[in-house]
Amino acid sequence: MKNPDDTDQLPPFPASKNSITQIFRLSESTKTIKSKESPKCNKKQDSLWYALYFPQLEELSESRQKKLLSELASAVRQVSSEISFHSHALICEIRSSLKYFGGMERVHDKLAPVLNALLQQRGLPGYFLYAASPTVTGSLLLARSGHNVLVYQKNSLRSALGRLPTNVLRLSKEQNCRLYNMGVRYLRDIWRLPANGLHTRFGGDFVNLLNKALGKAPEPIHNYLPPPAFSTSYDLPFELKNLDRLSPVVDEVVAQLCEFLRHRDLCISHLLFSLQHEKRDNTEVDLALRRPNRSQEHLIMLLETHFSNLIIPAPVTGVKLKAKKFNAFMGRSNSLLAEDRPTSTHGSESDLDQFVEQLHAKLADNYLKCIRSVSEHCPEYANQQTDYGEPIGESCNGDGHRKGKEQEAQFVALAPRPLWLLREPKQLVLRNSKLYHRKAVTLISGPERIETFWWSGTDVCRDYYVAREASGSRLWVYRERTSDKNWYLHGYFA
Amino acid sequence: MTIIRTPSNTPQPSADKGYNHSVTIEKLLHSNPKLWRGCDIAGQGFRGQSTGFPQLDDILPSRGWPQSGLIEVITPCWGIGELQLLIPLMRSVVEQGKWVLWITPPHMPYAPALVQVGVNTDQILVVKRDTSCKDALWSMEKALQTSNFGLVLTWQNWLPGKVLRRLQLAAENGNTLGVFFKQHDSKYSPSQIRLKIKDSLVRSNNKEASDFSETEITVINARGNFRPLTTRVNLYQPS
Repeated sequence: MKNPDDTDQLPPFPASKNSITQIFRLSESTKTIKSKESPKCNKKQDSLWYALYFPQLEELSESRQKKLLSELASAVRQVSSEISFHSHALICEIRSSLKYFGGMERVHDKLAPVLNALLQQRGLPGYFLYAASPTVTGSLLLARSGHNVLVYQKNSLRSALGRLPTNVLRLSKEQNCRLYNMGVRYLRDIWRLPANGLHTRFGGDFVNLLNKALGKAPEPIHNYLPPPAFSTSYDLPFELKNLDRLSPVVDEVVAQLCEFLRHRDLCISHLLFSLQHEKRDNTEVDLALRRPNRSQEHLIMLLETHFSNLIIPAPVTGVKLKAKKFNAFMGRSNSLLAEDRPTSTHGSESDLDQFVEQLHAKLADNYLKCIRSVSEHCPEYANQQTDYGEPIGESCNGDGHRKGKEQEAQFVALAPRPLWLLREPKQLVLRNSKLYHRKAVTLISGPERIETFWWSGTDVCRDYYVAREASGSRLWVYRERTSDKNWYLHGYFA
Repeated sequence: MTIIRTPSNTPQPSADKGYNHSVTIEKLLHSNPKLWRGCDIAGQGFRGQSTGFPQLDDILPSRGWPQSGLIEVITPCWGIGELQLLIPLMRSVVEQGKWVLWITPPHMPYAPALVQVGVNTDQILVVKRDTSCKDALWSMEKALQTSNFGLVLTWQNWLPGKVLRRLQLAAENGNTLGVFFKQHDSKYSPSQIRLKIKDSLVRSNNKEASDFSETEITVINARGNFRPLTTRVNLYQPS
């Protein structure tokens, strides 16, 4: 009566004398639900956010946290379709499912054993803190406080939150200290402070957080999307012996798939199309695409090509399509005008990255190498192998790189270098004062003397020659000038 | 000495129309690389990328390397000069801003040598030697389809015709040149060009020049050539 705003949002509640106690309902799990389920609530359905806070995740590494949270989220999906990730917490919309499950208590009973079991499986203590309120941030703060609170009305949120200590805000140490010095211990102390002052002292983020918690600011959330899965089937009303007659069905099934792909912004690279027969095993068409695609015509064309050389053991009674592998959709924009040049070069850049990514995915990580010449006297060290991606970063600092190359050009111009260098020099056989590798070796030119690393233990002291093997190969051989004076093969001119 | 000759088995066009015809034919021949004159002996087309060795240009159907397709280089053993043969091509590919991919070379390419011959090593990628054959061929096909690569070099010995055919198509689609280094020739391969490299020592009368060696290159098969042609090239520039 006193406050028209309160009365219009509150359900008819018998003891509405003291406005503060009415609005604020704090309960250990679900004692007050029944009175809440009044017809008036349905008229204006605010969402109710159910926060699940897992304090035990704090000790885990970031990647494990992420993995575990998405596992937990897939378990939470049985009660809600809107789930968002927060630090060490999951928040889901629950108002829409209350009626179906028969109240908050049931929802909690349904979730708790599953989540606890999941946590225990991962070797973590099986418990979690929870709270529900009409705002996402509000329920997160409530859950963090460990009170296991349910707040149904937006206007009771302020007092419910007011009871929480300031540490639920997870502020920086400095900000906490400042709040403490200001004499602020609980959130209700902050409520009394003017917003302008708070803004100047603690910044916009802080005020925004509080506003979000109170439902005064919009809270955009990022919903959890389960990994894509697509399968559809179609039962034919009659048996089909001729696969050509199947094409309308194929069209429709593929159209569904493409629709799904467009919605999720995906491409498909592997799908399984099975034809069902009566009392026989299904005939399966395993379609692995070379390039991920989502064009309906293309997929239908491919399927029909497969059908054209398919022999079915029995009439078809139904079809089933199952997507096995999805890829992200890579869109490409074409230029409006016919001038293809700029777009084609731009496209090819991304093509290259895509290709290299693909290669990386296919081969192990260290199989793809870049080579670079380094200003170094000793031949073994003048060649640098790096993984693809690293040298790009280096070539950004253009000048130094370019300079190095010029030096290189000067350095390498002195004497011939082989296109292939052996990883380990291979000793040549000296027989009757003639050298042999696979066949007899004759020296053509040289020597080029390389002496380096005298300052370290591995002294390099060699005379290099260009040699010709009887088979026709040009070799780069050297003779050690120290110790044994052995001959070694070090490279091929190829 | 006419450059344009009509094959003898085709009906001769009448004299007045003949001129016009040959002009349109000539136009077509220029615009479509898949068309060539059956009677053309090697060395009369104009479309290829010069190999850098005039003697070899003379015996190749388009006076040089084709724009796209597969080239097989057959050598009795690795390192006989097959890479030297491709250095000018590699240089021009890199100058065009395209990349060169080396798939499973028997030894790691040596960057200083490449820099020495003027090939920018920034645009060279190498797939290491111990990659499986299947993965190597897979990467070759992918690279041939990608327009960034101007040249893909592969060292493989075992290749069935089906695989080659597929790679040939990939190369034609991606407008890329693929080069296979093999040690055995297979007669019915669908590659655009098959070359055989053999070393031959030139026995000169002059004693001082006795170490002078040339490489014998045989074009076993090339689209546009009727018969195998052989030339001798000095791959190693005198230093």
